[in-house]
This record gives sequence, structure tokens and C-alpha cells, in this order.
Amino acid sequence: MNRSLIILIGALALGAAIFTGSYLTARQATVACCTKPADDLDWLRTEFHLSDAEMARVRELHAGYKPKCAEMCGKIAAKKSELDALLNGTTNVTAEVQSKINELAALRAQCQAQMLQHFVTVSQAMPPAEGRRYLARMKELTLGSHEKMEHSMSGNTGHEHQP
Amino acid sequence: MNDTNHPSDDPQLGALLRASRPSPGLPPHFQQNVWRRIEAAAAPAQSGSWLEALANLILRPRFAVALAAVILLAGVSAGTWQGRQTARHEAQVNYLASVVPHAGR
Repeated sequence: MNRSLIILIGALALGAAIFTGSYLTARQATVACCTKPADDLDWLRTEFHLSDAEMARVRELHAGYKPKCAEMCGKIAAKKSELDALLNGTTNVTAEVQSKINELAALRAQCQAQMLQHFVTVSQAMPPAEGRRYLARMKELTLGSHEKMEHSMSGNTGHEHQP
Repeated sequence: MNDTNHPSDDPQLGALLRASRPSPGLPPHFQQNVWRRIEAAAAPAQSGSWLEALANLILRPRFAVALAAVILLAGVSAGTWQGRQTARHEAQVNYLASVVPHAGR
């Protein structure tokens, strides 16, 4: 093989190895240094540039919200267990099953409303512009996924429900 | 010793010797060919041999070290940027998991 070609291929391989090695090392070091898994609220501080005072207020709100959220999750889990138990014994959607589904949906709606209320309260503890950005981001992250799913089922994919 | 006559001192003898050993003639277009070869050696590499020129460039120590440094810097920059994005995403997921029931499922 041509000597020049061998030199170029060798240089390319060496270059690729240097780039890959430095890329992976730097990425790993940055992730290890910048990630604080112990602090759930670290993202808020960095993403929305919160001061210590604002962060303290947000922490307070967060601590107040968590037990309510856990309680609601417990209720939803219990209702789901009841529904599962009913569905195990039947092959039809009985009136009782329908009632449980409605109760579960109501609990989920209540949970979602409580969550949105928490987002609004937290956004008010932030500087106005950052608060608006936070609220928009949280709506996108929490409600957006449902909207995308509903949108995909509403006809754009060719899968349409008959009226 | 100084009284003896050295043969090379004799001009007649010298002329006779030169005439008896004629120098061979130069090949045709000798001078033109010499100049052509000198010009070809002095001319820069042609575009046809770019592969060779590139290989020669890479083999220069200064260029090779500079190129390796640039690649290293590019790798570190890209890795740091990607690492920040990953850390940011993980922090966001952590927060969502703490406020949104069943987040990430």
C-alpha cells in the first residue's frame, strides 16, 4: 500500500483515539462534578438563577408539598389496587368497574390540580420573568407529555376514532 | 633533486598527453536536461501528489503536536459541553421525580 496513505490512515486513527478519549474523560468528569443527586432542587437553582433567599422559600414550599403529594399517590395506588382486584374477577366493564375508573380519574385530576397549584406557588417565589419561564417549563414537562399522546391519537398518525 | 626536470613541467609533453586522451563528448541536450532536472527538484509539490504532501506535513513534529493539541482541546470542549447537558438533564429528572407522581414512567 502507498506509504502516504498508511501515514494518513494512522494519523486519522490516532486523531480519532485522542478525540474519543478526551471527549469521554471530560464528559465523565463534568457529569461527576456537576451532578448533585442528593439535592432534588439543584436544578431550580441553576436553571432559574435563584438567590439563597428565593431558594430557601422554594425549599419550604417543596417540603410542604411533598407529604401532600405522597398522600395523593397513596390514594391513587389504593384505588388502582381496588380496580385491579375488580378486573381480575370479571371480563366485562361492570357498573362497579366503571365507578372505580371514575374515582381513579377524579383522584388523578385532583393530584394534577394540586401539582399545578404547587408549580404556581413556586413560580411566585421566583423573580417574575424566571417564574413565568418555570411555569411554562413545568406545564410543558408535565402536561405536555399527555398532550403529545392525545395529539398523536387524534388523527395525525392516521389512527382516527369514529364518532 | 631540484635539478631534475619533472615531466609535467614540460608544456610540449603536456599538450601531447592531452591530445592522446580525448575527453568523451556530452550526450545530446545534456545542458537542457540538467536544467530541467534542477527545475523539477526545486518546484513545489504538484496537486497530483497532495496525499504525499499531506503525509509529509503530518510527519513534521511541530505540525503533528499542534494538530494533536487541537484535537485534544476539541474533545475536551465537546465532552465538557455534553457533560453539562447530561448533568442538567439529570438534575431536571431528579426535580421532576420529586414533584410529579410517577414521573419518568
